[in-house]
Amino acid sequence: MNALKAMIRRELQEHKWGFVYLPWIVAAFMSLVVVMVYLGLTEVNTENLKFSTDVFSDTKVVQQMNEATFDQRRAAIRAGLLVLGIPLVIALGFAVLAYSLSTFFDERKDKSIIFWRSFPISDSFTVFSKLLVALVIAPLLVIPALLFLHLVSVTAGSIYFAVSDIVPFAWVWQAYPWLDWIRIIFSLWMQSLWTLPIITWVMLAGAYSRKPVVAAILPPVVIVLVEGVSLSSSVFFDSLVERVQPWSRAGSFPKEYESTLGVAELSDIPLLFGMTEFWAGILISSVFIYLTIYFRSKSDYATVE
Amino acid sequence: MEQNTVIKARNIEKKYAGNIALASFNLDVHSGQIMGLIGPNGAGKSTFLQAVLGLVDTTGELEVLGLSPNKNRHELLKRVCSITDVAIMPRWMKVGQVLKYVEGVHPRFDLSKARKILSNTNIKRNSKVRTLSRGMIVQLHLAIIMAIDAELLVLDEPTLGLDLSYRKEFYSQLIEDYYDGNKTIIISTHQVEEIEGVLSDVVFMDQGKKVMSGSIDELNQKFLELRPKAENIEKAKALNPLYIRTELGRPVYLYENVEADRLGDFGEVHPPAIADLFLAVMKKNKEGEDK
Repeated sequence: MNALKAMIRRELQEHKWGFVYLPWIVAAFMSLVVVMVYLGLTEVNTENLKFSTDVFSDTKVVQQMNEATFDQRRAAIRAGLLVLGIPLVIALGFAVLAYSLSTFFDERKDKSIIFWRSFPISDSFTVFSKLLVALVIAPLLVIPALLFLHLVSVTAGSIYFAVSDIVPFAWVWQAYPWLDWIRIIFSLWMQSLWTLPIITWVMLAGAYSRKPVVAAILPPVVIVLVEGVSLSSSVFFDSLVERVQPWSRAGSFPKEYESTLGVAELSDIPLLFGMTEFWAGILISSVFIYLTIYFRSKSDYATVE
Repeated sequence: MEQNTVIKARNIEKKYAGNIALASFNLDVHSGQIMGLIGPNGAGKSTFLQAVLGLVDTTGELEVLGLSPNKNRHELLKRVCSITDVAIMPRWMKVGQVLKYVEGVHPRFDLSKARKILSNTNIKRNSKVRTLSRGMIVQLHLAIIMAIDAELLVLDEPTLGLDLSYRKEFYSQLIEDYYDGNKTIIISTHQVEEIEGVLSDVVFMDQGKKVMSGSIDELNQKFLELRPKAENIEKAKALNPLYIRTELGRPVYLYENVEADRLGDFGEVHPPAIADLFLAVMKKNKEGEDK
């Protein structure tokens, strides 16, 4: 247990920008945007998302808010918080991918692998600890930043609604979905497991190749092209897209498994474990993990002096 | 395997892209020995030490503390420490983080001992490794190694690139504060003169082969150097010296298996420096090959 703690601590120390600071930077930026919107200093106006206080000048909207049932209020707040969380989940995805790509490559590049391997830690244990960081710890570290962002947003919204006489201050707080935190954590972990083939593939590229970016990207691109040209289909590409999209609502799980609320429900866990696609991914990942351990253990650092 | 045999190597072979790194290499290292692997670049010293640490695959029979370095590497590394290259310590880490990491992963590491050793240096716990000089990195590495209760210490060119004062300090600290007679140390270097006073045994290597080996005591009995008086030079030559060198304009002859009393009649007699002995043995070896 001491060894695992030490390994995880080391990973977080080395990758503190991606796993520790980045979620807070994104959350701080998003919080700033939210506060500025409520202060009327800016607005978000894109094709997919409109976020502006102008909407509350419409008396119909205000009336709807006042007449909304508890469930409707909760659903609206949940949808708002979900959208706010997307940039954080995307940042997490990039951080995990960058980590997976570099973790076994950097130690070979700077030869620190010789130092790490001079201690009684097996290659399997090292790979396991790095996977644990990517799949379990990194999503967990996003949660405090996400909580901060949510609380800032809800507080700013509540104050704005109260000051503007739209709805009472407690309107948002009463319907705030407190238990969503557990759902979000599990959702992110399920997402990690779902994305495992990509994470392990990228780790493998870093473990054996001198050009890990090329090794990670080129084979999938070749498969997509060959499939497209020879079979005029895009099954491989579609399955890749399914696996990398953030958040279950955005389509990372196949349509029939989508949670209606966007954040995967705890009840979705047995659903995930019942999917053939899920187990196929785990099987493929196991091969990639085995190869990563193999390449790490067989790295031939010695040169003829 | 004998009770006190720490390393047993039989017919160890290793090739890199057609180049022979080790060829039928045999070696026994016993508990308490401080063994020096001496040889030029390409002699196979580092390859052998990396094989001992389970870092490279070799053919032949290799046992370290009764374990196979490749099959039981994890178990072996609880009992073996190494400094294989000073440049490899992770540069992004802080000194304190390195110590905490080692404490977590090594069951025989004594954190307070390492801190105590470091308190006698200029190395601060919150310094990053990348800000330390090469000499300080070696000091840090040595502090870690000295705080691990290991049975075998493997040092592969541990002082390469260091200035003289650090090199001297490294070896004196190693012997005075670390070596207790029970531990075994195996060192590779081509800066022979610096470890000469430290070693109990030497192995001369060239092109992946063992050219000669023995304890320092044995070698000092077997090989002698003579600085003959001017009038005895011809008589000294007649005794078939193995190697002749010149020192301050005077010839110095190195003999194998010639009695000290006999040589004493011709001049000043003393055991050869390992560097000189190495050159002599290599010359003899080359002549043997040419024939």
